[in-house]
Amino acid sequence: MCTSCNYYKEYVTTDVTYDVDYDHQKMDWGKPDSSSFRFETNVEIQKRKNTSQSLGLQINAFGAFDVYWDGVLIGRNGQMAQADRVEVPGTETSYYQIPNNLSKLGKHNVVLMGSQTYNKEVERGIDVKLKDYLQLQRSPLIVVSFMNIMAGAFLIAGIYYFFLYLNSTRKELAVLLFGIICLLFFCLLIIEYVKYYLDIPYNEFYTRLKIIGWLTFAVSMLIPWYFMLQFEFKRKKLVLFFLFIVLLAVYIGYYGHYDISAAYFTITARFFSIVIAIEAAIRKAKGGLIVAAGLLAGVVVNYFMFYDFGLFIAFTILVLCMLYLHTIRAKAMEEAHNASLLLSSRLQLELIKKNIQPHFLRNTLTSLIDWIEESPKEGVVFIRALAEEFDIMNDIAEDTLIPIRQEIDLCRRHLEVMSFRKEICYEWQEERIDQNETIPPAIFHTIIENGITHSLPPKEGCIVFCFKFTREKQFKTYTLLTLAKNRQTKKDKRVGTGFKYIEARLTESYGTNWSFDSHAVEKGWETIIKIFD
Amino acid sequence: MKILIIEDEARIAKRVERMTRDFFDKDVQILLSDSLESGLIAIENNPIDLLLLDLNLNGEDGFEILQTFVAGPFQTIIISAYTDKAITAFNYGVLDFVPKPFDQNRLEQAFMRFTAQGKQSGGDVRFLAVRKAKTFRLVPINEILYIKGAGIYTELHLANNKIELHDKSLEALEKLLPETFERIHKSYILCWEQADKIVVEAGGKYSMQLKNGDLLPIGRSKYKEIKNKLI
Repeated sequence: MCTSCNYYKEYVTTDVTYDVDYDHQKMDWGKPDSSSFRFETNVEIQKRKNTSQSLGLQINAFGAFDVYWDGVLIGRNGQMAQADRVEVPGTETSYYQIPNNLSKLGKHNVVLMGSQTYNKEVERGIDVKLKDYLQLQRSPLIVVSFMNIMAGAFLIAGIYYFFLYLNSTRKELAVLLFGIICLLFFCLLIIEYVKYYLDIPYNEFYTRLKIIGWLTFAVSMLIPWYFMLQFEFKRKKLVLFFLFIVLLAVYIGYYGHYDISAAYFTITARFFSIVIAIEAAIRKAKGGLIVAAGLLAGVVVNYFMFYDFGLFIAFTILVLCMLYLHTIRAKAMEEAHNASLLLSSRLQLELIKKNIQPHFLRNTLTSLIDWIEESPKEGVVFIRALAEEFDIMNDIAEDTLIPIRQEIDLCRRHLEVMSFRKEICYEWQEERIDQNETIPPAIFHTIIENGITHSLPPKEGCIVFCFKFTREKQFKTYTLLTLAKNRQTKKDKRVGTGFKYIEARLTESYGTNWSFDSHAVEKGWETIIKIFD
Repeated sequence: MKILIIEDEARIAKRVERMTRDFFDKDVQILLSDSLESGLIAIENNPIDLLLLDLNLNGEDGFEILQTFVAGPFQTIIISAYTDKAITAFNYGVLDFVPKPFDQNRLEQAFMRFTAQGKQSGGDVRFLAVRKAKTFRLVPINEILYIKGAGIYTELHLANNKIELHDKSLEALEKLLPETFERIHKSYILCWEQADKIVVEAGGKYSMQLKNGDLLPIGRSKYKEIKNKLI
C-alpha cells in the first residue's frame, strides 16, 4: 500500500542554524492509481550547543499527511484519505516541533504517511528542513513585516492618487495609471506573502501563483505605459502593442512555470522602461535621468538579491522614482498656477493704468483746460464724459469678464472724450449685439484706442467704428471695423503692447479657444475676435 | 520768424498756436503738423527758427527722431505728457521741456529762453547731435575743447584733434551749453577747463592759451570779465 523513498541528509553546518539547502526529492509514485504514499528520510544531528531550545521541521510537500519523528507522531497536515473518508488537503508548507527528549545527537528518522488526491500530475518533490523551531516561526514574520510596510506604502500612494484623479478637473491618465500601479503592487505584495499567515490547501497552491502571474503581467504592462505618458513618448500605441506581444509570448512560452514567467514579465517591463527613460534622458525631459538611474539601480539590486525580495525592492525604487516625478509635476503645476495669478493681477494693473498713464491723463487735462478756458459749457460736457469713462473703468477693473454692453459703453465714452481732444467726429455703429454675451474688459477699448491713434483725420465726415456680432454653431465672432484712412507707420506699431494685453485677456478667460486677427483692409482696419465653444 | 508745431491732438495744437501767436505778435509764421513724418517734410521745405514738439506722437517714441531735430539749425522746445523724459530730452540738447498740462505762463517762459541772449538751458546737455551724411553722431559735451563760429555753422574742436561741423549757430549753441563753457569772443566758445593763461600780444591783442597750446582770441569787451574769472 505504501511507497517508500529514502532521503538522507548530513548536517555539516553549525548547530546554531541547522540550515539545509533545498533538496528536491523526486517521488516514485509507484502505483499511479493509488493516492496514498509513504516517504521516509534520515537526518543526523551532529552537534548542538543550546539543548534547551526546541528543534523544528519544515516540510514542503503536497498532500495530507502525518509526520513521524523516530516513529513518534509529531504532527498532522490535513486529513489523509481513508476508506470511509475523503481527504482534507493539507497546506504546502507546514512546521512541526520535535520533542526535546528526541532531539539528541545522532541519526534520526522522519516518516511522512499520507495521501495526495489532487494535483497528482504535478510531480512535486518533498523537502524536509531541520531548524531551530523558534527561528522557523520567526523568519517568515520578519519577512512579512518588511513586506507589509512596503505594501502599506503602496496602498496609501494608490488611494491618494485615485483621490487625486477623481478630484482633479483635468483627469490625467498618468495619475490614474499611477494609482492603479500602486494598488496592483499592494495586491501583489499581499498575495505573495499571504502564504505565511493563511493555510492554503495544497490543491489551491497554484491559484495563488496564477494570481501573482496575472498581477505581474498587468503591472509589467502598466509601468512602461506610465513612463511613456510621463515622458510624452511618441509612438505609445506601437510600443504598447509590442510590449503586449512580448508579455503574451512569455506567458504562453512559460505557461505553468510561474516563477520564471513572472521573472521574465518584470525583466520585459524593466527593459522597456529603461529604454523609455534613457530616451527621455537623452531628450532632456524632466526627471528622465533620475528615473533611468533608479531603474538601473533596480537592475543592480536584482543582480545581488534573491528573486522576489529583489523584485520588490526594485519596484519600490521605481515607485520612489515615480513619486519624485509627480512632485516635479506638482511643482510645475504650482508654478503655472502662480504665473497665471500673477498674470491676472498684471492685467488688472494694465487695465487701471490705461486711464492714469501720463499720455492719456496729461493730454486729456491739457485739452480740458483749453476747453474750459475757451468754451466752458462744452468743457463741462467733456468733464462729464471723462467722469463716465472713469466710472466704467472703475467698475470693471477687477473683473475678468464683463457684459458686452458695459464694454460698448466704455468704448463710446472713450470716443466722446477723444472727440473733444482731437476735435474729430467719431461715430459708433453696432449690429446684432447679444446683450447676454460677456467679454474680457477693455479689449475693444484697446482696439479703439489703436484705431484713433493710427487713423488719419477725415477731410470731412466722421471716423466710423462698426461693431458686429455673429454666432455660428461652434464659435462666436466679434468684428470691429474702423472706417478711416490708416496712417503710414514705419514699423507695424499696432502689434504692440495693446495687442499683448488683448491676447493675454483672451487666454485668461478662454484658454486656447480663441483667435484674434487684426489687419488693414481697403476701408480702414478690421479686427476679428473668434471665441470657440 | 517761422515756428513749427508738431502735435497730434488738434485741441492742444490750437492752444499752442494761439499762445505762440500771442507771445510773438504778428511777425511770426506758424506751421502745424500732426505727425513726425509730415513735420520732417515741413522742416525740409521751410527753414524754421523754432520747433515745438510733442514727444509721443501717434504711439511713436519721439526720441529716435529727436536726434534729427536737435542736430538742425533751429532750437527745439519739447511739449510733452511724458514728464519723466525731461532729463533725457535736456541731455540731447533741447532748449526747454514744457510738461503737459501747461498754461500761458509756462509756455512764455520757454519762449523767453528762446528770445533771450546767452546761456538759457539748465546745463543738462550731454551730447551735441551732429549730422553725418544721412545719419547722426552724438558728440559727448566733455570731448569738446572749444567751438568756433563759421557763418551759419559752427566747428566743434574735439579732444582727439578732430573737427565736427554743427548746423546750429554759435548763438544757438551758447544757449544750450552748460556753465563750463564760456563765450570769449564773438566767434569762440571755450570749455573753461581747457583755459591755461592769457597772453598779451603786441598792439593790445589778448589771446587765451589752451592747455594743448592752441591760442584763441579774446574779445575786447570780454577781456575784463575773463581775466577776473581766471584769477
